[in-house]
Amino acid sequence: MRHARLLGFVAASALALTAGAARAEDTVKIGFTTALTGPFNEFGEGVHRGVVLAMEKWNAAGGINGHKVELAELLDDQLIPDRSVQNLRRILDNKDIVAILAPSGSGPTLAVVDMVQADGRPMCNPQAQTPSIVYPNGLDKPPRPNVFSITIQNNVEAEKMADVLAKKFTKIGLLHESTGYGVTGAKLLKEEILKRNKNAKITQESYNQRDQDMTAQLVRMQRAGDEVLMVIGLGADMAVNRKNMSRLNMNIPRYGSAGTVTQPFIEGAGDLAEGQRAVNFLFASADPMRPATKEFADAYKAKYGVDRWWGPDASRPQASMAGTVASGYDCANLLFDAIRRANSTKPADIDKAMEATNKYPGAIIDQTFTPAKHNSVGPDDLVLYEFVKKDGRMQLVPTQE
Amino acid sequence: MTGVRRLLTALVTNPVAIGLLVVALFAGAGWMSGGTLQILTFLLVNILLAQSMNLLTGVAGQISLGHAGFFGMGAYASGILMKSYGLGFVATVPAAVAVAALTGLLVSFPAGRVREFYLAMMTLAFGLIFREVVREWNDVTGGAMGLSGVPSPMLRTLVIFDLKIDAAWYFRIVLIITAAVMWLLHNFIQSRFGRAFYAIHVSEVAAGSIGIPRAATKRLAYVLSGALAGLAGAFYAHLVGYLGPESFDLPRSVEVLVTTVVGGLGSMAGQVLSAVLFTFLPEKLQVFAQYQFIVYGIILAFSLIVIPRGLAGLLLLPPRFVKRAALRRVGDAAEPIRAVQATSEPGLRVERVTMRFGGLTAVDDVSLSLQPGRITALIGPNGSGKSTLINVISGIYQPSSGVVRFFGRAITGMADHRIAASGLVRTFQDPRLVPSFTVRENLLLGAHRLFRRNGLAAALNLPGAIREEGRHLATVEAVLRMAGLAEVADRTIESLPYGYRRLVEVGRALLAEPRAILLDEPAAGLTEAEMALLARLIRAMKQAGLMVLLIEHHMDFVAELVDDVVVLDSGRVIYHGDVQGMRRDPQVIAAYLGETEDVDA
Amino acid sequence: MEDALTLILAGISVGSVYALIAIGLNLTYWTTRTMNFGQGSVMMLGAMMTAVLVAGGVIDALAALASLVVIAAIMVFTEVFTVRPALKIGGSMGWAVSTLGVGIILQGVAAKYFGSQAVAFPDMVFSAQDYVEVFGVRFALQYLAILVLSVALVALLELLLRRTVWGRAMRAVSMDADLAAVAGIPVRPIVLGSYIASGLLAGIAGMLIAQTGGTVDPAFGFDLMIFGFVAAVLGGIGSSSGALLGGLVLGVIEKLVGGYVSTAAAHGIAFALLVVVLVARPQGLFGQREVVKV
Repeated sequence: MRHARLLGFVAASALALTAGAARAEDTVKIGFTTALTGPFNEFGEGVHRGVVLAMEKWNAAGGINGHKVELAELLDDQLIPDRSVQNLRRILDNKDIVAILAPSGSGPTLAVVDMVQADGRPMCNPQAQTPSIVYPNGLDKPPRPNVFSITIQNNVEAEKMADVLAKKFTKIGLLHESTGYGVTGAKLLKEEILKRNKNAKITQESYNQRDQDMTAQLVRMQRAGDEVLMVIGLGADMAVNRKNMSRLNMNIPRYGSAGTVTQPFIEGAGDLAEGQRAVNFLFASADPMRPATKEFADAYKAKYGVDRWWGPDASRPQASMAGTVASGYDCANLLFDAIRRANSTKPADIDKAMEATNKYPGAIIDQTFTPAKHNSVGPDDLVLYEFVKKDGRMQLVPTQE
Repeated sequence: MTGVRRLLTALVTNPVAIGLLVVALFAGAGWMSGGTLQILTFLLVNILLAQSMNLLTGVAGQISLGHAGFFGMGAYASGILMKSYGLGFVATVPAAVAVAALTGLLVSFPAGRVREFYLAMMTLAFGLIFREVVREWNDVTGGAMGLSGVPSPMLRTLVIFDLKIDAAWYFRIVLIITAAVMWLLHNFIQSRFGRAFYAIHVSEVAAGSIGIPRAATKRLAYVLSGALAGLAGAFYAHLVGYLGPESFDLPRSVEVLVTTVVGGLGSMAGQVLSAVLFTFLPEKLQVFAQYQFIVYGIILAFSLIVIPRGLAGLLLLPPRFVKRAALRRVGDAAEPIRAVQATSEPGLRVERVTMRFGGLTAVDDVSLSLQPGRITALIGPNGSGKSTLINVISGIYQPSSGVVRFFGRAITGMADHRIAASGLVRTFQDPRLVPSFTVRENLLLGAHRLFRRNGLAAALNLPGAIREEGRHLATVEAVLRMAGLAEVADRTIESLPYGYRRLVEVGRALLAEPRAILLDEPAAGLTEAEMALLARLIRAMKQAGLMVLLIEHHMDFVAELVDDVVVLDSGRVIYHGDVQGMRRDPQVIAAYLGETEDVDA
Repeated sequence: MEDALTLILAGISVGSVYALIAIGLNLTYWTTRTMNFGQGSVMMLGAMMTAVLVAGGVIDALAALASLVVIAAIMVFTEVFTVRPALKIGGSMGWAVSTLGVGIILQGVAAKYFGSQAVAFPDMVFSAQDYVEVFGVRFALQYLAILVLSVALVALLELLLRRTVWGRAMRAVSMDADLAAVAGIPVRPIVLGSYIASGLLAGIAGMLIAQTGGTVDPAFGFDLMIFGFVAAVLGGIGSSSGALLGGLVLGVIEKLVGGYVSTAAAHGIAFALLVVVLVARPQGLFGQREVVKV
């Protein structure tokens, strides 16, 4: 190991001598691995675009304290944990890189997060919702020092939903996808509901992503006499499930996780979406948009136009982009801002600056971290929406729940 | 091209070159970056996994679409035992191997009963069941959330004997173990065990006919393949430090199968090349950016068609299945087949055997007996039940009634391989040899039942195992000369004309040093010259005191060879006696009325 | 009791989907002893292309037709450039790898051009609210359509195979392709035809299924294909009525296990059932044993 360092030092000195000024110092380098291709590239490519927009914004303004930002490593893992691990190792091997974004999805992120913690450089998590990414030893224990998250963590979503559900219902059907996200979300939500109402009866059932029929699960809920159905999963499966309920003539109220407020559900369920309630960011419905959101949306439109990520509702792209482009954008901005305030690229300095982030005006919310709290989104940033058909199209209306 | 192949083959099979490479990697690990070490360790894991698949699918011919199950078994076993039960690396890795081997054993029972597409479906189901269990068994496997915090050298959390293992040392450990395992595996495949795997791969019936037990051989293949995959899984678990169900899902099984197929089924070196390709491919494919998923698909779809025998077929000479040390040892020494102790009583008795298929009676109340040192011809018109009778005697069919006794012991109902192992072997109408084996290897396969050394001795290349193989190679040499095959001894069967194949099959039966031999139309399709060689072989059998039963249409050939003739018609014996008597027998003439040319020829 | 009926009807519904897929897989098995491992992607493409075209303003029927034409072309390509060369090379299962490759290509192309996010599939024949009552339990018309189609297809195929010249030719090819070729039967067109028909069935199945769920994405179809395989094996490979029954049995067992034992165990039990059937009756629950000649 010592030889390697020595060699590296010699090489670096040689380079410095020949190249004159230390060019490597010139730019602030970041890197990440995500699902750029494959079945989940909607997430990865979205994050990638958000990061590009954030970089362009900073570079247009002259960079971070005069240093331009550079995306030194952009690697594709197709959401396969092995590839994420290999890619991230390659990124960590690049000693010039000062900050990292986490991969899309809980599996790959969980696979790399120990590595990142051991390395020490700061990482911002734009998408994976599993709490143990930030809080490996439990929510009441300290977070990983260098890992920050701007997603709706499972526990936050659970708290918000439990507030709503426990107040109105005692027999609750809880349906979730059989992924890390779904399983953790369901477990936390169950705990939160029981915390609020000891007598609550919960029927918990799971399904696999892309299952085309959920009759068995729904029948079990019917048998239990559930008064409400809460679904934790992705929009497309949510649509399958909604249609399935319709076929069974099951008409109990429906609630859903943030994944409900996505195009696949709205389009897939069609008119059946009406009455569905789902949790999501307050900002998704803010009208007019917050200035920071508008700045982001304008930048996106200018560069990429109105496309898949922009979403079906041309006047309100933020709902569609919250979990993808906007989160990549905010993550990158938060890291850049921390580097600016720290005026340093040392991991410890950036971590400290990140922890001091206070109401940074992100595209999604005003982002705040503290030394004890490395996830920015709290229950207050969320609101319960209802799908209402108005003027011939489905709209999201915030409720008072 | 062949020159290049020869050169490359010499390189990749050269122990010194391989040794140097291992030493260089071992020493060089200290200078490598974390990423390089990691990807190289991934490569070693993939090599082991590909070897596991190759052993089962490439060598033993049992396709697996659920290999991620074995891999996952090993990974979870080592991960859980270390993380949740605090066992050390030196205990968890062998335990992982054992667990995966046991899984292989369990899978082999249902899987051993089906073939080809059905086997693909069954192994697919196995892989999917494994996935479901991992995903639902939250308390043990961590369920869908996965198992985090498995001690890993990448995090400096892996401790072996109180030493913190870093990435370089982990790589070295995996490197040495992989190299050792590859050496053992190579020796093993070049022994009678590997040849037996190939034999059941090509034809289970033919394998049974020379005493290779198909169920036990398949079981062994599954166990070893499981063990190898389990070893790969254990290394993987500590390399990544996180185990999630998606790492052991169907795409992984497909990836392994594809690696093996692209590498070249049956070639160990090809597996290494292919593992290199597929380990580094994702990184290289990054240049294709958004097209990389499509490029991966194109590779799967067309690689087999562009390079039918995989990378190995493209770059290397085909692998061989004889120990080189044994070949060197035996040189061109030849040792004739040992004669059987002559006895005057009949060794093989067929007593009132009847074989019915539904309403059709193929063999009807047939009795006959064979004497040591005598050749008996079994003739009759097409469809008279000759081959059926041989199938009954050799244990492929169980007769509807009647008994076959071999030296007093009733063998009806015994498995074909056990009958063969007791010294009663046969050949087939269509030669059933291993096409990719050389003549020498096919002949050596015949001696399978005579080998006594166990698999460990074969894998370690112990002197006893080499000696034993050398002894049989000397006998092979003798048969090669007697059958006029010495010139083509080292050519593969698929490259030889039909006539040679017949001779090789008869020679292979002789190599089993049997006490009785059943030949099903051995002269069909042979030239005059080849027939003379065949006759020489059959006479040698007689001289060695064997009982020979010969089905043959070619009357001239029969007339000058045989001592007795049995004529079948419509499943019944209509004549039993010598050749002259047969020619005069009115019943025989009547039976052959439509086929007079056969009698007169 | 009403629960049981609901579950059984749901089982029959999804079972008829499995059956439809299995029937398509069987077609190519008859002629070439191969099955298209990219069938899931073919289903996806049928549904996704239709959805994208409809979203782009094309009339439903025209969009569906256009997709089916593309699928037919893809199936010809698959047979000519991957299956046939792989069979020529020999070796047991090369065609499985190469057809899987084609499936991945299709998936990649779909993700590239249509996006990897699920797109909505229009209600074409019936909507999710349409139903008939069976003993007081709702049976969705969308599923009924699939069931009727499956049953009709099985009847049609049996009729074609038994009564028409083409059917007899196909059976001859199925028994022994070489012999059939010698006998002057146009083996190549029959093989290609079976691939095209198999693809069209998959495409139609994809559309019908996407309609019940409401969306389709590039990874759609793979899991369904697996269950199609299971149904085909359960029923006895090569038998279309077996495929129908196999699909229905699989669907009903899955739903009953899900409803009364555990939904988490439903898939696992379906796969375990496959293993048990393969061991006990490799010819399938409803198939006839193939005679193996030594």
